[in-house]
Amino acid sequence: MSETAEHDFLFASRGDGRELGAYVVAVDFCRASGAAGFGLGDGSVHIGPAFTAHQAHKGAVLSLCADVTSGFLTGGDDGKLAHTGTESTVLADYGSRWVEHVAAHPEGVRAASVGRALHLLDGAGKPLKSLAHPSTVAGIAIDAKAKRVAASHYNGASLWFVGAKEDKPRLLEWKGSHAAIAFSPDGTHVVTAMQEMSLHGWRLADGQHMRMSGYPAKTHFLSFTAKGRWLATSGAESVVLWPFFGGGPMGKAPSELAGGDDVMCTAVVCHPQHEVVAAGFGDGLVLIAEIASGKVVPVAPPGKGGISALRWNANGSMLAFGTDKGFCGTVDLAKR
Amino acid sequence: MTDQVPVTVLTGYLGAGKTTLLNRILTENHGKKYAVVINEFGELGVDNDLVVDADEEVFEMNNGCICCTVRGDLIRIVAGLMKRREKFDGIIVETTGLADPAPVAQTFFADEDVKRAAKLDSIVTVVDAKNLAARLADSREAEEQIAFADLILLNKMDLVNAEEAAEVERRIRAINPWAEIIRSTKSDAPVTSVIGRDSFNLEKILEREPDFLSGEDNHSHDTEVLSVSFKVENPIDPERFNAWITQLLAAKGQDLLRTKGILAYANDDRRFAFQAVHMLADGDYIRKWRDDEPRHSRIVFIGRDLNRPQLRRGFEACQVGAPSSNYEAELARWSPPS
Repeated sequence: MSETAEHDFLFASRGDGRELGAYVVAVDFCRASGAAGFGLGDGSVHIGPAFTAHQAHKGAVLSLCADVTSGFLTGGDDGKLAHTGTESTVLADYGSRWVEHVAAHPEGVRAASVGRALHLLDGAGKPLKSLAHPSTVAGIAIDAKAKRVAASHYNGASLWFVGAKEDKPRLLEWKGSHAAIAFSPDGTHVVTAMQEMSLHGWRLADGQHMRMSGYPAKTHFLSFTAKGRWLATSGAESVVLWPFFGGGPMGKAPSELAGGDDVMCTAVVCHPQHEVVAAGFGDGLVLIAEIASGKVVPVAPPGKGGISALRWNANGSMLAFGTDKGFCGTVDLAKR
Repeated sequence: MTDQVPVTVLTGYLGAGKTTLLNRILTENHGKKYAVVINEFGELGVDNDLVVDADEEVFEMNNGCICCTVRGDLIRIVAGLMKRREKFDGIIVETTGLADPAPVAQTFFADEDVKRAAKLDSIVTVVDAKNLAARLADSREAEEQIAFADLILLNKMDLVNAEEAAEVERRIRAINPWAEIIRSTKSDAPVTSVIGRDSFNLEKILEREPDFLSGEDNHSHDTEVLSVSFKVENPIDPERFNAWITQLLAAKGQDLLRTKGILAYANDDRRFAFQAVHMLADGDYIRKWRDDEPRHSRIVFIGRDLNRPQLRRGFEACQVGAPSSNYEAELARWSPPS
């Protein structure tokens, strides 16, 4: 990949980008307009196609996702939960505490973690409940149907029913510090990335544990393919994919894609329909790879900072990425 | 790795003057900006978006060693602060008065992301000159905070006379002869003399020959913690040293609070700086040896229950040319029975 000429990258012919000058924390696509929204370390949210800037937070944006119906939901180190659409508004103010993680679902659920608390709000911004954890929440995920929300923390993860009358979590226990967290698309598995540079999974039906180890760095991105057959992960010098079929991942070796450049894979996200994964690397390279064939298509060249944010739009026709040096880009992958 | 953020860990017993120092760091015009991680919000009367409220969550590492603990909250806070890296020059982490400084220091050795983003610059301990003797008598933490320190701010000097001041320095030196001591009243030492000193610049520390080093243990018998140091003149065999120190730290890490060394490796014209907190270690080449300086290797251990002859023989056996039978015996001493 390192010998690929600049014009062979799709970004040259199909991309648009800006240097925005601050760490790109996260990117997502608006559910209404389809525009990409980038959350930055200077507290700003930039919304495509013109990368229009909004000052959502006073300090840094710590997390961003597409909000319930339109616009973007962000958490900041100014203690605020904000919505940014045509303008930025504060949905909740948690004082001196950082709002570290946010998630939202079109069914009208918003989740924000502040210290040990996970706050749930409805689509109108009304607080629904506040869920307490034994230690600081380090990652949150809402399942595909918005029935359950999972929060990772020290020594495991807690699984809550959003609509429960009485809030009592199912505790998924495993010793150690758990951060990034994901549900499988069918809601049957929960997987976390651990501080000790391995993954841990639980099969919810019977509590079966799954340990996936061997990473040289911490995994920050966990992404299942659309039908949940593969779990793609960052944290190695290739895209590491665990098979969730044929009895796996227990006792199965993972597949590796797009390795060989001795550069750390820092971000992965699976295509919303096909068994295709987009990956970003520490040198700024972005590529997409077909899992079955291993065929790789170069998307963006190295050189603009390590990839820190990566996202497909809802129908998989556009990919957005951001770097730790402040470059934001989108690439149009629609058939022409 | 030149853009790693320097981190100062600020420890000290309750009432020693940490908060006064932090307020000065945040309000005085000293030309630097620091992100300050505190454990009790509101203790600083300052509205500053670089003040971060922490929870002091101490997590065990999943490596089976009970002394390998890290601060989980710090891992997240450092990651968060790195998103606005350009806003500050360094990070200061305050610990509560009774806290063991080890989990904070170990976080900067143990977590991959934190190691990449930040480096431990120094551990600064604020000490109350008037009450140190009483603190040492009734708490193990007070002693450990001095043992861990690279720099000690000996505060409240207006409350002691010259004799008492000399005695309190003697007590500090007995525990940790290598720490730099700065005297102050109302934490009034210049901020730049306390923070951002690059105190982990081991060269400086290890070149400081403790005043009373006379070949005896630096053990005054009024304290549990002691320190020993050794110098060897022949080059060190890196493979031998690594194997020996790894075994030693694994076996003895709980008692070894700090280990620091400057090593002259065979066939290498650069100085290697080594340091450990309990059993977690880190090391890097720092600079070329100057032509006019002897290529000696030094190592310092600060801890409890240290056997000076055993440690000396082990370090000596790591020299190139030391008999391999000696080396094997020293390595075996710390190896688990097979």
